[in-house]
Amino acid sequence: MLNRRLRRAEDSRVMRLGGGPPRPAEAEGPALRFSGVVHRYRSILALDHLDLEVARGETLALLGPNGAGKSTAISILLGIQRPQEGEVSVLGTDPRSALASGKVGAMLQVGGARGLPHGVRVGDLVAMTSSLYRHPAPVARTLARSGLTALAERQTQRLSGGQAQRVRFALAIAGDPELVFLDEPTVAMDVEGRRRFWAMMRDFSREGRTVVFATHHLDEVDAVADRIVVMRKGAVVANGAASTIKAAVPTRRVRFTSAGVDPARLRDLDGVNAACVRGSQVVLDSLDADATIRALVATGVAFTDIEVTGADLEQAFVALTSDLAEAHTVADAVASSDPAVAPQSGRTP
Amino acid sequence: MTGLGTFLRFEVRRLLRNVRYIGITVGFPVVFYILFLNNEHPGTRIAGTTWKTYFMVSMASFGAMVASLNAGGTRLAAERASGWTRQLRVTPLPSWSYVATKIAASMLIVLPVIVVVELTGLLLGGVRLGLGTWAVLTVVLWVSALAFASLGVLVGYVASSETVYPLVTALMFLLSFFGGLFTPVPDLPLALRHVAAFLPSYHYASLGWAVVAGRAPGLGDAAVLLGYAMVLGLAVTWRHRVEESRAFA
Repeated sequence: MLNRRLRRAEDSRVMRLGGGPPRPAEAEGPALRFSGVVHRYRSILALDHLDLEVARGETLALLGPNGAGKSTAISILLGIQRPQEGEVSVLGTDPRSALASGKVGAMLQVGGARGLPHGVRVGDLVAMTSSLYRHPAPVARTLARSGLTALAERQTQRLSGGQAQRVRFALAIAGDPELVFLDEPTVAMDVEGRRRFWAMMRDFSREGRTVVFATHHLDEVDAVADRIVVMRKGAVVANGAASTIKAAVPTRRVRFTSAGVDPARLRDLDGVNAACVRGSQVVLDSLDADATIRALVATGVAFTDIEVTGADLEQAFVALTSDLAEAHTVADAVASSDPAVAPQSGRTP
Repeated sequence: MTGLGTFLRFEVRRLLRNVRYIGITVGFPVVFYILFLNNEHPGTRIAGTTWKTYFMVSMASFGAMVASLNAGGTRLAAERASGWTRQLRVTPLPSWSYVATKIAASMLIVLPVIVVVELTGLLLGGVRLGLGTWAVLTVVLWVSALAFASLGVLVGYVASSETVYPLVTALMFLLSFFGGLFTPVPDLPLALRHVAAFLPSYHYASLGWAVVAGRAPGLGDAAVLLGYAMVLGLAVTWRHRVEESRAFA
């Protein structure tokens, strides 16, 4: 963690020597901060006293099930909605001023649509978008960063889904922003497209920029983010590096081989919250592996090849965000076990 | 205000490159003019002028209306559906400028449409007017097309990408038929003549009909159009606000 921070600092120094716009590392304060933000839509509480801070130059992954408040948080950060309570600052100012200053870029969710206008070449679209910013990156560099150099002459309506997404990434970075929001940026991409996308994004964030992204592909989070924030019901329930979050979740995976076992009986074993039987392969997710194994032995079922492993990020995610989870206990555990990261669980002042 | 000019150029270039759009907006009024010119004897007197001149004004009005409804309505609805308007909202472009640019682009496209129909009248219909009358006619039709530009943008905000085509088509036919653009209002059944008095299309064309007949454009017509432009403008502002405050899906 520390090594990575140092590397980042070095990278930003290199960039400054190379000229160009002042890098965020020089500026004061966090890239963004939520303090006590409450936002509700009629009776639905979308953000429940959200506290969150992201340092300049950090790459943060925002996770959470649908309805956890991720999109509301992002729309507040972009100044599209004003918080009903609490304070939000982006790059040391309010969200609208930050957006107007051209230091913020965003790639939003567009559902099944392309998010691009028709009847225009990719190069012209990127050039027009660049012209809306005060200090844009050169168009050729934006195209190269997004892997679009070869597609600059292509009409937008002739792009594949993955290519259109790269164009939207190009539009998000065209203004050479200090801070970029990416809401589900790889949603329509195939595996290779996703790999390429994250490689592009890492190159971009290495220049000292702050990146905040939301995704459902948990495998990507592990490889890309410096820090993960898990949201549930409008508040932060876990906050830390991927390894910290995984370690803090008590879920263990118990695997064994057994013939003719009844799945319904497995679910009743102590500690088990999920059971899966495929042929003779049995996989149990348990909050107390020791108790589960004792209970399993007590049933008298014959089994072989038993194996107990820790939670992967997906299990950790499920454990943190399911209604059964004791969210705040877990959040406290995560916060206290990683002193390198400021603890920010839901309601702790 | 960085890039506002670039954005307007971008919009206009996209409109000009859209072959189907240009075909409809310029082709329809020109073809209708040629087709229906001989419905009457071209020299028949009507409302203080000749049929060929009167009908040229009708078709220029029709063209201006079709151009505005498509430039604003159809495209705006499609761009809302595709998420492009949301992408623009997260650039430094001030949010009002998207609407303003749509209206400005629509106005810029309307001018050549009016001129092309006038040229068709001059070259194929044998319309003869003084230079000053041509100029006044062009300016009057162009400036007052603002009412249709606002109507186009409002349609684009209200309709979805599926409903916008039928809505634009319906408006196009209702406004042009009941506004007397194809059949002069005095020839319409009595009940419909009263309908015309409420339609912007009728008052819009009336301004032009007055000019070619050598009369001053009617103040009443101008007032009705201005009223339409203002009410539609307010409605656009309101829809824009609603859209702006909407959360992401």
